[in-house]
Formats: sequence, structure tokens, C-alpha cells
Amino acid sequence: MNINEMKVLVCDDSILSRKKLKDSIVALGCNEVFEAADGEEAISKYKETNPDVVFMDIVMPKKDGIEAVTEILKYDASAKVVMASSVGTQSFLKDAIKAGAYDFLQKPLDPAQVERIINNICTQGGK
Amino acid sequence: MFTQFFGNYLLNEKLVTPEQLIDGLQAKNNTRMKLGVLAINAGYMSSSQVEMVHMKQSMMDKRFGDIAVELGFVTSEQIDELLSQQPQGYLLLGQAFVDKGYMTNAQFEDAIKNYKSKYSITDDEMNEAQDSNPSHLIDSLIDLSATSSPDMYREYIILLMNNLIRFTGDDFTPLQPESSIAPNDSYITTQDITGKFSISTSLIADEDTLIQFASKYACEEITEMNEYVSAAACDFLNIHNGLFTVNISNSQQIELRLTPPDTVKGVTQAQNDVIVIPIQYPFGVIKFVISK
Repeated sequence: MNINEMKVLVCDDSILSRKKLKDSIVALGCNEVFEAADGEEAISKYKETNPDVVFMDIVMPKKDGIEAVTEILKYDASAKVVMASSVGTQSFLKDAIKAGAYDFLQKPLDPAQVERIINNICTQGGK
Repeated sequence: MFTQFFGNYLLNEKLVTPEQLIDGLQAKNNTRMKLGVLAINAGYMSSSQVEMVHMKQSMMDKRFGDIAVELGFVTSEQIDELLSQQPQGYLLLGQAFVDKGYMTNAQFEDAIKNYKSKYSITDDEMNEAQDSNPSHLIDSLIDLSATSSPDMYREYIILLMNNLIRFTGDDFTPLQPESSIAPNDSYITTQDITGKFSISTSLIADEDTLIQFASKYACEEITEMNEYVSAAACDFLNIHNGLFTVNISNSQQIELRLTPPDTVKGVTQAQNDVIVIPIQYPFGVIKFVISK
């Protein structure tokens, strides 16, 4: 698929983190980047927009990122959710794998890693 | 990190005033190193020899290095070596003080010698800056022996200093720690670390200082208090605490968790028996508070 056809959902409770990540994704050529500010909103936005890839923070109010991934995959087993979190500890990595996450990025995010993930999913034809 | 602690040392020894320190921190990154200070720092020349070269320079149109070699103070190889070195932050700070007339070359010579010997810092360590182990610097700043786990607190504070440098730049100096916070109308950003090492961490700053801090962290010019400013304070604390939990998970197999960070205006409750590390930036002071 073409990169400009890809839909991306960015979930983070920090408006600054969302903006930074969104800016770097838009710079890669993606036109449709949606945002969610907590785990609950992430689930509803996922259902609403059906994105090819989700970038998901872990430490968030209301519902954390691990719970959100679990619910998203229950709803759509083919969902590709990348954890993007400051807490890349052993136990969170395990939790993320168990929940079915596609990849795990440690914050501060390296734009090159974001690009690698977007390009890989794009090459595979999206979700 | 030696740059930051060198500023703290100069302040404590009353070699510079707080106003001069702020001025020096501001000027540091636009300061050009001069051979005199480099030669004093390397131990190749004394401050008196540097003054002698300056006097000669005022009488003849010759470069500092040429005169110093002619007088037999240094070899031309030593001059080349000094010129090829990357200037270190603490040297730039010292040069800024000398340029502004806050310190003489002789005072700089004494200060750098005493600072290195007081904290048993070798020249190699001074040059490695962030990579070396600054435990003794932290211990000279704060007595952690009364805390539940001095090693954990020490690791936390070392990482804090390194993350401040990494994410906001190196133009700051830690001031003398305090042990309480009185209620005030500053902004406070808080995040708790939970698990086997449970602490509450916060960052307190007045509005103008927080805006400047946020601008540095976000690498964007922010001019007024808005949601990006609070988000930047939350992000810094969250990334710093996150990296701490990752380090502890990897090195000690201890799994810690974080609560979502939050910024509010106004410190409503006094906090006693806490570790307060004030960080002096050119634009103001940010206080980091860690519960014991």
C-alpha cells in the first residue's frame, strides 16, 4: 500500500507527546493520523477509524495502555499496536507481549524507529 | 555533570555570587576558550605566567601561544594539543567568569585545583563528563544516609542530573538541597513511583520559569502558559522516572510502576522531611522534590 493511504492512531495522555509523534508520522507522508488521550478513548477511536497501526502509551489515566491493547485485540485480532512508553521494564515488556503488542518503543522515541515500523507495516500492505 | 557541580562549588565557596553564576551560565555557550585558561587547567602554565604573557601581548602584536613558547613556558606541541581539545563545559563556565571579570586567572587556577582535589576528580574524569561515576559529587551535595535506601536515591539523583543535561541542556547548577516545601502558588507536577521503592516525585516552578523549561524540553518557543507547558513538565518527569524504572528493572530485577503524571497550579500542602534539589537555570529555579 502507499504510505499516504495509511491510517495511524496515536494514544498518549500528553498533548505534547502526541504532537511530536504525529508531526514525525505526518512528515513520513501519512495523511490520516488520529489521536486519543487515554486508554478508553483509544478503544473507541480504534473502532471509529480502523487504523493500520496504533502507537500506544502505557501509563495513562482511566485505562492504561496494556488494558487498551487487550481490548483492541479482542475486538480486532489483526490490529497492530506498538507500545510507545517510558516504562520499558521487564514486566511491562512481558505484559505487552502477553497482551499481543506488535512492537515496543522506549521513550524518548527515536524517529528512525517510528519510520521503520511505519515502513514495515506499509510494505506488508497495512493491517 | 562536572560543569553543573563546578558551578555549585564556586557558589558555595563564595567565589561567585548567585547573580554572577546565572550570568556565567547564560554566557557559557557563546564563550570562546582562550589559551590561558586551557593552559592553567592542563597544569602547563601558572596564572602568573598567563598574566606575564598578557603583559607582553599588550606591548607587541603577537599571539598568546607564540609568546608563551618564546618565554619557554610551554612547548609548541603543548599549544597544539590544547588547541585541538574540545572545550569542556566547566572550562567554558570558568572562561565566562574570567571574561566578565568575576574571577581572575589566579582565582580560576585555585578553584579548579581545589575542586578537583576536594572531590578526588581526575583529569580523565573531568573530560569524560557524563560517562564517569559521579557518586561522590552527589554525596557531597546531599546526605542520603538517613534515607531508606541511599543507593536507590543516589542512582535516582544521578539519573536526574543526566536527564536534565540530556533533555534540557547543560546550563544549570544544582543549589544546596533543602528538606521542606512551604505552600506557594507555583505550578507543581507530580508522579509517584510505586512498588518495592515507593516515592513521590515532583517538579515545582513558577509560571515564567516553567514556560522557559518547557520551551527547552520541547525544543519549541513557547511564550505563554498553556497545555503544552504542563504537558512538557509531565513528559520530562515521566520519561525520567520511566528510564529510572527501566534501569532498576535491568540492574536489580526490581519491577516498579508509575502513576500518570499531573500538573496543577498551587502547592497547597507543606511538605516536610523531603529531599528538595533546587536547579538554577539562567531563567529561574526549578525545584525537584523526592519523598523520603
